[in-house]
Amino acid sequence: MGKSTCYHCGLDATLANITFDEKLFCCNGCKTVYEIFSVNDLTCYYDLETAPGATPKDIEGKYNFLENSKIIEQLLEFNENNTQIITLYIPHIHCSSCIWILENLNKLSPSISTSIVNFGKKTVRVNFNAKTLSLKNLVTLLSSIGHEPYISLDDYSIGKKHIDRSLIYKLGIAGFAFGNVMFLSFPEYFEVGEFWLEQFKPLFRWLMFTFSVPVVFYSAQDYFISAYKGLRSKILNIDVPIALGVSVLFFRSTFEIIFDAGSGFFDSLTGLIFFLLLGKFFQQKTYSFLSFERDYKSYFPIGITKINTNGKEESVQIYDIEKGDRLLIRNEELIPVDCILTKGNARIDYSFVTGESKTVSKQSGDKLFAGGKQLHGSIEVDVLKSVEQSYLTQLWSNDVFKKDKSMAFTNITNQISKRFTISILIIALLATTFWLVADPTKATNVFTSVLIIACPCALALAAPFTFGNVLRILGKKKFYLKNASVIEQLAKINTIIFDKTGTITVNKESAITYEGLELSKEETLLLKSTLRGSNHPLSRSLYSILNEHNILTLDAFEEHLGKGIEATYNNYQIKVGSAPFVGLTSETALLNTTVHVSTNNQYKGRFTFYNDYRKGLPNLFNSLKIEYDLVILSGDNEGEKENLTKLLPTKTKLLFNQKPKDKLEYIKHLQHEGSNVLMIGDGLNDAGALAQSNVGIAISENVNVFSPACDAILDASKLNQLHNYIKVSKTAIKIIKWSFGLSFIYNCIGLYFAVSGQLSPVVAAILMPLSSISIVAFTTLATNLSKRKLE
Amino acid sequence: MSVIYVLLTISIIVAICFFAAFIIALKKGQFDDSYTPSVRMLFEDELIKENTKKSILTKKD
Amino acid sequence: MEMQQFHYDNKIVKNFIYATTLWGVVGMTVGLLLAFMFLFPNLTDGISWLSFGRLRPLHTNAVIFAFVGNAIFAGVYYSTQRLLKARMFSDTLSKINFWGWQFIIIAAAISLPLGYTSSKEYAELEWPIDIAIAVVWVVFGWNLIGTILKRRQRHLYVAIWFYIATFVTVAVLHIFNSLELPVSGLKSYSVYAGVQDALVQWWYGHNAVAFFLTTPFLGLMYYFVPKAANRPVYSYRLSIVHFWSLIFIYIWAGPHHLLYTALPEWAQNLGVAFSVMLLMPSWGGMINGLLTLRGAWDKVRIDPVLKFMVVAITGYGMATFEGPTLSLKNVNAIAHFTDWIIAHVHVGALAWNGFLTFGMIYYLVPKLFKTKLYSTALANLHFWIGTLGIIMYALPMYVAGFIQASMWKQFNPDGTLTYGNFLETVTEIIPMYWMRAIGGTLFIIGTLVMVYNIIATIKQGSTVENELAEAPALERVSKKRTAGEGWHTWLERKPIQLTIGATIAILIGGIIQIVPTIMVKSNIPTIASVKPYTPLELEGRDIYIREGCVGCHSQMIRPFRSEVERYGDYSKAGEYVYDHPFLWGSKRTGPDLHRIGGKYSDNWHFNHMYDPQSTSSGSIMPRYQWLIKNELDKSQTEAKMKAMVSLGVPYSEKEIANAKKTMLAQGTKIEENLYADPDFAKNYETDKKYAQENGEAFIEMKNREIVAIIAYLQRLGTDIKVETAQN
Repeated sequence: MGKSTCYHCGLDATLANITFDEKLFCCNGCKTVYEIFSVNDLTCYYDLETAPGATPKDIEGKYNFLENSKIIEQLLEFNENNTQIITLYIPHIHCSSCIWILENLNKLSPSISTSIVNFGKKTVRVNFNAKTLSLKNLVTLLSSIGHEPYISLDDYSIGKKHIDRSLIYKLGIAGFAFGNVMFLSFPEYFEVGEFWLEQFKPLFRWLMFTFSVPVVFYSAQDYFISAYKGLRSKILNIDVPIALGVSVLFFRSTFEIIFDAGSGFFDSLTGLIFFLLLGKFFQQKTYSFLSFERDYKSYFPIGITKINTNGKEESVQIYDIEKGDRLLIRNEELIPVDCILTKGNARIDYSFVTGESKTVSKQSGDKLFAGGKQLHGSIEVDVLKSVEQSYLTQLWSNDVFKKDKSMAFTNITNQISKRFTISILIIALLATTFWLVADPTKATNVFTSVLIIACPCALALAAPFTFGNVLRILGKKKFYLKNASVIEQLAKINTIIFDKTGTITVNKESAITYEGLELSKEETLLLKSTLRGSNHPLSRSLYSILNEHNILTLDAFEEHLGKGIEATYNNYQIKVGSAPFVGLTSETALLNTTVHVSTNNQYKGRFTFYNDYRKGLPNLFNSLKIEYDLVILSGDNEGEKENLTKLLPTKTKLLFNQKPKDKLEYIKHLQHEGSNVLMIGDGLNDAGALAQSNVGIAISENVNVFSPACDAILDASKLNQLHNYIKVSKTAIKIIKWSFGLSFIYNCIGLYFAVSGQLSPVVAAILMPLSSISIVAFTTLATNLSKRKLE
Repeated sequence: MSVIYVLLTISIIVAICFFAAFIIALKKGQFDDSYTPSVRMLFEDELIKENTKKSILTKKD
Repeated sequence: MEMQQFHYDNKIVKNFIYATTLWGVVGMTVGLLLAFMFLFPNLTDGISWLSFGRLRPLHTNAVIFAFVGNAIFAGVYYSTQRLLKARMFSDTLSKINFWGWQFIIIAAAISLPLGYTSSKEYAELEWPIDIAIAVVWVVFGWNLIGTILKRRQRHLYVAIWFYIATFVTVAVLHIFNSLELPVSGLKSYSVYAGVQDALVQWWYGHNAVAFFLTTPFLGLMYYFVPKAANRPVYSYRLSIVHFWSLIFIYIWAGPHHLLYTALPEWAQNLGVAFSVMLLMPSWGGMINGLLTLRGAWDKVRIDPVLKFMVVAITGYGMATFEGPTLSLKNVNAIAHFTDWIIAHVHVGALAWNGFLTFGMIYYLVPKLFKTKLYSTALANLHFWIGTLGIIMYALPMYVAGFIQASMWKQFNPDGTLTYGNFLETVTEIIPMYWMRAIGGTLFIIGTLVMVYNIIATIKQGSTVENELAEAPALERVSKKRTAGEGWHTWLERKPIQLTIGATIAILIGGIIQIVPTIMVKSNIPTIASVKPYTPLELEGRDIYIREGCVGCHSQMIRPFRSEVERYGDYSKAGEYVYDHPFLWGSKRTGPDLHRIGGKYSDNWHFNHMYDPQSTSSGSIMPRYQWLIKNELDKSQTEAKMKAMVSLGVPYSEKEIANAKKTMLAQGTKIEENLYADPDFAKNYETDKKYAQENGEAFIEMKNREIVAIIAYLQRLGTDIKVETAQN
């Protein structure tokens, strides 16, 4: 089979018979890449993995903006006379060959010194000399070998972001201290009063103290902070008892060693914090290749071509575009601002912005909105509004994008911990008062012991480990959650809202029906041949659907931009295109995309395009409708209404022509009525809704490319699994409740020792890890069982 | 048993040294990328033929 | 920054590989010889320098430091250069490292059979060689860190971390364990006494295993296994965790070698706890190694290199599982002093170290000589014989250990030992010793097959002494740059910090350690009745050390009914206060000797040394007839006593002055005792007469070595019988 596939990219190469030193290629692009490599003896690229490459795209003029010094300055991480460093995001990175070639760039250009790949992040960090190799040329070089970097407006704020490793520091310190303190307190567990032990006891104890100081004041600081915040906002969150326990542990232990009253509880103290941090660490599962924070910046180009008054082209940074500027938008380029078309015919794809699936054609003088994509040749426009004021971008001025969801609700652990803390304090007080009567000397001991033992280690561990595990499980099933709180939210959902285009439908429209007069064999043949000539998206898809015919060579062929195609074949004349173009005067208002055909000026009929829905959709809706209210919010027109009503349960609400803002408002309204909303969408137009909803899931056909800001990213192929995923999150909550039960048992045992005033360091040191470890074991086991739900 | 405490001290000191090394390495981003290095070490680099164009440093580097 | 071209130093790697194979064969052959001595005790009859006691340390040292040591250097020198994209820091240092190390080995190979030993296991070499080791080791570290400094690859691959750890810790361990006070050119006494010495020794012993036999090999595993399988390690993240957790836990796990000895209980528990914890990182590493080959098992089937590595890793897994198990008190109660331990260490040595080394050699030699392996068939043959050998070796030893242990502990209903005579427990396991010998033979045959295969490969190959490679240099960069992306400047700092750290550790440790040794007397709960050895006994003790008696006889009676019943009152820490070095031993091929004093007559000992089988038939102890002939060298006695004084042994000036007199007196006393045996009297007198008639010089019995050793043996453990300790 290796025969017929492209040596470079592995695509089918049977049709194109391009060969170069006995190797088959699917296109000249691939061939060129191979040539480049073979010239620079880098063909080892193909030994590591078979057919690892990607076809280089035509990027003529695409990267002109990299000539703009302002932009360059922004993109570069480091810039000093002869050394420039830039980190580029390269979506294609996927195998060891990629790593190898990208780390051997210096063999392709002497001006590149080193290039280091980060496979997880899909980035390459290049040291190069801008004097001999401009940034633009570097990018062009990368593109020419099929590793085109993706540069967006987002990168404009490069360098600011740095990795936060503080948790690992804290964990490391806690772990290290824990080990040593265990080590030092061991003697006292076993051999009290051994001669030499007596001699060295002070040293040991003070060492333990020294080890625990950084643990308490650095590793544990977050707990104190959050406890303080909680109290200030009148919430008894889980961190309150933790902070309480930690400080009591620390002060009592210090007190004990100062007055030689005992060895203190430093081992439990450090251990406790170590385990807690371990939980935290485990919970934060991050997908380095995903981003949940994307806004329009990730889609907009960083620069665009501006045409000066003197007609010269220069590339400018997007933010520098002002009202009245004249811009040149090339084919496949995105329109960054609201503007008026002044030159050329535009065919704009707004699907990303509005969710509208069909492309619209515009004549000069028409208004174009930011976010649209030009599909047909290059155009010139006059700017109406700057980026920030533009139609699409305004959406992000809405304050839903500012507030952090996870803060908004009190999570399950905190709900519990409220009652927990109160009851603990009561017990502590009762016990203390009792002992004050019975044996005052023991009172303080008991009081502190209770607070120590009550320190809800197991309690605090239950949630992180469960969630952490579930995050991983779902991640393996291509359902990527932003953080643990999403799981809890998901379990609470009672309303589910779907966007239409791209969410429940496949992006490409492919179902086609023909209504009208039967087309004769010649006519279909001719039609087919005609369509072949045009590269209008509709023509392409129509062409691909009509069954194969031997192709005629047309006598005449003419494409009328924005109207249609006209062709003749031995005095047979055919017109394909919009209704008026083919001469149909009385066009019945129809919402679906249509292509009309006429031969020899006689109207034949029309092809109508319908959406293609994702598989398993009806089943999904039917299983969901039992527990949830379902709504379809589409930015598209009502053309699909009947299809949808056929497809979906009757009680499903269908709303069309929803502008992004409307979607957002609709969800707000639902939430006011007290429902917890799950929004599932794909495009930028859903961004507002995703942000507003309790859980916003972005559907993505390829998780490596982009999805708007959301709480979770779901691989399109897994949409039909949605219900199971929700079920899993519900089980997770159950598991947590169970483990709470468990940890209460431990606390009771501990409380017995504490209240009766016989809590020795050993008991604490045994009880604490025991409870923690068993909780961890339990949650891990249970969550793995819950995995069964998913196939 | 005094020597035990000597040994403990040495152990702890050595341990602390390693810990310092760990923290610094972490801080300097040694452990940021926990995949690529394992692939990188597989690449052989001796295959290069003598190539006089490039500046050859001292024969034995 | 343009490309730099440089050359990898393959010569040094080759040399180390040659050395590895050579010493491997030597070390294993000696081992095999020893194995056969169990079956034919008098195999090397009368040749003192081929006696079991003297060859045992030679075997252990040859295998650990010569075979494994050279293998480590070979692997490290090869992989470090490639991982760091740089030639070794200095060819001179590399050469010093190589030749220095070989010199040390040869010195050991000469001095040990001649009886120059400190008697501390895996550290038997005498003080001048110890110093040489320290120097060469530092040279190695210097070379390694130098290379790290001038590297061209920013990231330090996990293997490098393992190498760094190896260098630092082994340096510290070696220096502290080898603190000894020289008496003469080739004689020294450990500065620590008894329990303390034991403690340091096994703190060293354990960590030597950890950092000489394990960490470097893990580094090699993390380099060569992915290379050979040509696929990345299963989880690089795990490997990093593996390294750091291993480092931190290992250092704490020392004392578990002394369970049930006179060590305080808590220290033992400490050892146990951390040994058990060790299981986690160890198995993490093993799993990581094995899973690297997941989906490559087809490769494993055809590629001998991978075959060897798989078995090696499995061996590592078994050994690291067994280790913690053995450290559990109740398991240890059975296994300690038996052949179980021999089995344990050999699983580690033969499988983990041996097979990984073989795999490495099979991988490296063709690469270094730019050719294919001469014969894969032979390599496979080696693999199968070797594996069979390991099994044939280990299993019988486990069985032997278990049988012997249970026989030691078996009681009759009337409360007497079922096998009161130690010999019964020995003869019982002779068959196992046979199988062990066969297993060993197989393993060596395998090795020889490899040697042939390697030579043939080298013959057909072409040697490339310096291999060309190229990589861009790492630029030094300004603060501004480091702000952007950390750690350029750090790579200049870190290794230095590490070394500085180690030295500080050594210094501080040193200071703290001086203090207690100054107050040696005060720091052990003393037993009034325990007195220093008399000069003659002291000389006897040195002979005991010279002949390596400690290799087969322990001097540590553990507090079990069975042992107290068999040997007498259990050993107290206070009894060892004057033992420089300690002689507890780690293996009981023969019975414990701590309470041997006064058990038998001087004649018995005399005859037993002359021909053990005569006094105890079936004994597998070799004859020590040269002890009976040789004159006792008394020239050093005063010096030795003085040395002891400076180590805190209370010899008075007078005692030292009268050393010769007292020795003669005690010697004469023993000589008289010997006359109690008419045969002895007859033979001795005839010898004397014969000498006089032919005017030959005649050494009187009282001046012979036998007298000294008898004196020492009769003294052993007698102090305590006077009064019971208040320990």
